[in-house]
Amino acid sequence: MKISMRWLAEWVAVPDADQTARALTERGLEVEGIERRGDNLAGVVVAAVRARQPVAGSDHLTLVEIFDGVSVHQVVCGAPNVPAPGGRVAWARPGTTLPGGLSIGVRELRGVRSAGMLCSEQELGLGDSHDGIIVLEADAEAGREIASELMLRDVVLEVNVTPNRGDCLSHLGIAREASAAFSLPLTLPRVDFAALLGGAGAGAAAAITPPVAIDDVVGCPRYQARVIDGVRVGPSPLWLRRRLEAVGVRPISNLVDVTNYVMFDRGQPLHAFDHARVAGGAIAVRRARAGETLVTLDGVTRQLETGDLLICDAERPIALAGVMGGKDSEVSEGTTRVLLESACFEPRAVRVPAKRLGLHSEASQRFELGVDVAGVDASSQRACALLVEVAGGRVAGQGSDLWPRPLEPLMIPLRRARLHAVLGLDVAAPEVRRLLGGIELGEAGGGAAGADGEVLRFQIPTFRTDLTREVDLIEEVARLCGLDKLPATLPSVSRAPARSGDRVAERARELLAAAGLHEILSYSFVAPAALAARGFADDDRRARPRRVANPLRLEQSAMRTAILPGLAAALAHNQAQRVHDVRLFEVGPLFLPRAQGADDPELCDEPWVAGGLLAGERDGWLRSGGPLDFFDARGVVEALVHGLTGHAPTLAATSVVPWLHPGVAATVSVLGRELGVVGEVHPRVRDALGLTGVVFAFELGLDPLRSAPPAQLTRPGRFPGSSRDVSCFIGVDIPAARVQSVLAAAGGALLAEVRLLEDYREAGKVPAGQKSMLWTLTYRSPERTLTDVEVDAAHAGVVAALASELSATLR
Amino acid sequence: MSESPTSESLITELDELGVAFSAEIAALASEPDIRAAQARYLGKKGRVSEALKALGKLDPAARKAVGEVGNRVKSGIEAAVSARLVALADAVRQADLARVVDVTLPGRGARLGTLHPMTQARREMELIFAELGYEVATGPQVESDFHNFEALNIPKDHPSRDMQDTFYLSPLWSGAATETLLRTHTSPVQARTMLRQPPPVKIIAPGAVYRRDDDPTHSPQFMQIEGLLVDRVGKVSMADLKGTLLHFVRRYLGDDLQIRLRPSFFPFTEPSAEVDMSCVFCRGAGAGCRLCKGTGFMEIGGSGMVDPEVFRAVGYDPEEVCGFAFGMGIDRMAMLKYRIDDIKTLYEGDVRVLRQFP
Repeated sequence: MKISMRWLAEWVAVPDADQTARALTERGLEVEGIERRGDNLAGVVVAAVRARQPVAGSDHLTLVEIFDGVSVHQVVCGAPNVPAPGGRVAWARPGTTLPGGLSIGVRELRGVRSAGMLCSEQELGLGDSHDGIIVLEADAEAGREIASELMLRDVVLEVNVTPNRGDCLSHLGIAREASAAFSLPLTLPRVDFAALLGGAGAGAAAAITPPVAIDDVVGCPRYQARVIDGVRVGPSPLWLRRRLEAVGVRPISNLVDVTNYVMFDRGQPLHAFDHARVAGGAIAVRRARAGETLVTLDGVTRQLETGDLLICDAERPIALAGVMGGKDSEVSEGTTRVLLESACFEPRAVRVPAKRLGLHSEASQRFELGVDVAGVDASSQRACALLVEVAGGRVAGQGSDLWPRPLEPLMIPLRRARLHAVLGLDVAAPEVRRLLGGIELGEAGGGAAGADGEVLRFQIPTFRTDLTREVDLIEEVARLCGLDKLPATLPSVSRAPARSGDRVAERARELLAAAGLHEILSYSFVAPAALAARGFADDDRRARPRRVANPLRLEQSAMRTAILPGLAAALAHNQAQRVHDVRLFEVGPLFLPRAQGADDPELCDEPWVAGGLLAGERDGWLRSGGPLDFFDARGVVEALVHGLTGHAPTLAATSVVPWLHPGVAATVSVLGRELGVVGEVHPRVRDALGLTGVVFAFELGLDPLRSAPPAQLTRPGRFPGSSRDVSCFIGVDIPAARVQSVLAAAGGALLAEVRLLEDYREAGKVPAGQKSMLWTLTYRSPERTLTDVEVDAAHAGVVAALASELSATLR
Repeated sequence: MSESPTSESLITELDELGVAFSAEIAALASEPDIRAAQARYLGKKGRVSEALKALGKLDPAARKAVGEVGNRVKSGIEAAVSARLVALADAVRQADLARVVDVTLPGRGARLGTLHPMTQARREMELIFAELGYEVATGPQVESDFHNFEALNIPKDHPSRDMQDTFYLSPLWSGAATETLLRTHTSPVQARTMLRQPPPVKIIAPGAVYRRDDDPTHSPQFMQIEGLLVDRVGKVSMADLKGTLLHFVRRYLGDDLQIRLRPSFFPFTEPSAEVDMSCVFCRGAGAGCRLCKGTGFMEIGGSGMVDPEVFRAVGYDPEEVCGFAFGMGIDRMAMLKYRIDDIKTLYEGDVRVLRQFP
């Protein structure tokens, strides 16, 4: 809400803008900006024309002699409307920079020296008119700043009014707060309504009392209709236009401007109907029926819904209550008799249709936050007075005021003990009375001491619709006495924490960082195409991600069902920056749609996963470390799973993961649970995600690891082991894991460790279809030192098994 | 037959052997050579041993005198061997110590990766609160309208809904009843926790939240940390809230910082307050500071005393219990700590940036 300091000063004699802003901010009305209007016109002054003559050799230039209150200057002007001597114009001195950025200096035109410039409205940013220069009132004082002359000087505060303080969406509301803050009296402008009615004399208009009926007292607690007769539509006077401009509203015509003015002045939205276009001159407030429509002010035909609150005349809807008026009944240039609505509508009755139709306005906003039902008449009277002043009308009688159920005064008790307990600050009763009294909360009934200790009772003014409970009063006391008065203490509450965050996810992060990967955070919503590129089986629920209904952009519209897209985007970003050795990971949730019959089916399963992406070369020392391969990715996965469970994962080749290379992919399991996959990203997926070069990736579920048992000690053997090597040629298709399991089975209880030292398969150096393998086997007994004879016997069995079970040829 | 040795000639021979040995090993530069030389003199058939075989032919008196000489020569040889070996080892040590490496060459071994600056910030914040006895609580990010709004005193068709621009999810099937959304704050964790357990409650809830906002200072996804403390009336007050926030800010960003609570409005707290802290750049001095625009303070979050309506929605009796809640952006705190000026930097995954936060 914009607050004009000039306007505010009519209500209360506030100090300067900075002090006012600070006081409001401290009271919860945060001033987010201070605009000093008119400052941008410094250097433009009123000048009196002394003489004018055409410039020789030009058909449109005029040489004007002007006086700026101190001295005389010559300026060449191209406008056709230079006034005769004695006229007043707006002159920009040399050295001025106009709002549009134009620098004014001394120039020569057609050989004539020209100092400064005579300005048009457009050049001063005051309007669109560029037909000619501004011609001011003839009595304007030469030398006076144009900003002052045109009433442009003002300081405007941008106040962030929170949704509970609808009463502060007006200069009156802000003035109340300022009055309390500075202990200054509020000047309530008195409207002498009786005088406006003109008594019974000749100047009085014939009384017109519009019939008003309210069908729904909940939706419309009060409706007041007055008629102002004999108005002449035209532009508003300068002061009124400037006020509206200061608060960001474009002046339209005196009738409309007055309703807007009163709304910003007192917070009461008003509507002016053209009385001649209100059938029967009658008002009925009712809910819409099925199928009704209304053409609103903006010319759009609105489909109404049953229950929308309508203002109707004798025949048809003429306004959507509190939201927008109808086109048929709006005031226009020919309007001579106005029916002025001042009413109170229930917040929800305004908010629901306003939201549905996208018609939020200054008026609807005020109704939504609650207007002062008791202030309806005062606002109407103020508007009447202004219409008489600026549109020449006469008020046609008292009009109608329907308020079927006037408010009971609201009393709220405040227990001082409770106040103390909530704030941690003991505010004495007289101070509470003083603070609340400052914002017009009068004490009713006096402090009574009962079972609850001292209880103060306050009557709530009608404009404070937000104060309904004791805790609201506690907040007011806190706000008014200043939160800086609160001591800073630590609570004595103790509760033994039962959890401490997601240990598995945290450990996963640490392990992956230790393995040389950098953690990223990416958005949970991704491009549907990126998920599709990753590929899922049709019956996989990950193929049908939940969609954001109102995304900012398509690329952020699918809730991720895989961790890959975010990592891929980060890799692409790095590759675009020519950073190619990139190892990234992310730990976070996926969002998987639930089945229709599940608990909370509208929510998602949010399994936590760890994903990684590796591209480029591994670290070398004083030379390249060589391109990364599958085993670098596998090494990371092994470190992660082992670090989380104490067990090495089992990897099994898989060729059916759609986003991984069919020959370079494996499932990862541990303790009999499959966690996910690791492999080379499929070239097709790589291309679709905009990645270059070979990329390795993994995605492992962390949730299955949450219940992993702690590692259990196996005591290291006390007796030395004995090692034997075995080297053989073996079929190239036999996986290392298969060889290892044969070795382990054949070695029996004495075989303590099996290590692969070499896997060599260069063509020409090994028999066709074979590879060369070198294994080291360590034999050990927990009970004694083995003899060579025992070891040789065990090893012979192993070697024999290699030959018999895997057709290996010993070397 | 050979001339039988006299004691004098034997003594001379032994002495000469001692001298000869000294000369011999002076030229030797390895332990095996020295041991071999030692064996040549002192071994069973060594020259000293051979010479001493003649001892038996001497009379007992002479035998004793020559024997003493023999022992002297033997121990002299042994001492010479030891000395020579020590000297050799010393020479080897000295040669080794003459070795020089270029210590300015880079270290070998894979470089460590990094935890994201926001992860680091979050963990540090969690730790500060954990030390105060807070429990870390989590909840779903895809939330129901009830937990995100209604349970927090933000009813449908209420203007306070406009304070947060919400991402909604498209319904899964036509006629799906409730509105599903991406949580706009971590506050639903409050509601879920209170629905699950009786007071006292002492939690912090860190996590990702989503708002339909996208400009240089806002990201549609960011991270919040939320605190909630609930106990019997009288056990927890707004002064405690202030003290807790002050403690946190000082632990996280420096002991010289101050806290300022400014009255505000949130539907789920009453009284409500914005939380400002001293500007981390000018440390509260204000004048001329561009970061805080000269105010000396910067806003870091919202806070307040839990609204009775929230207690009612989760089945707590607002007459019996009282509590405070606060929330702030982890992104913002991390950005202030690490002087990151654009929130998008946090979500790009640029390795050159991430490396700077080991």
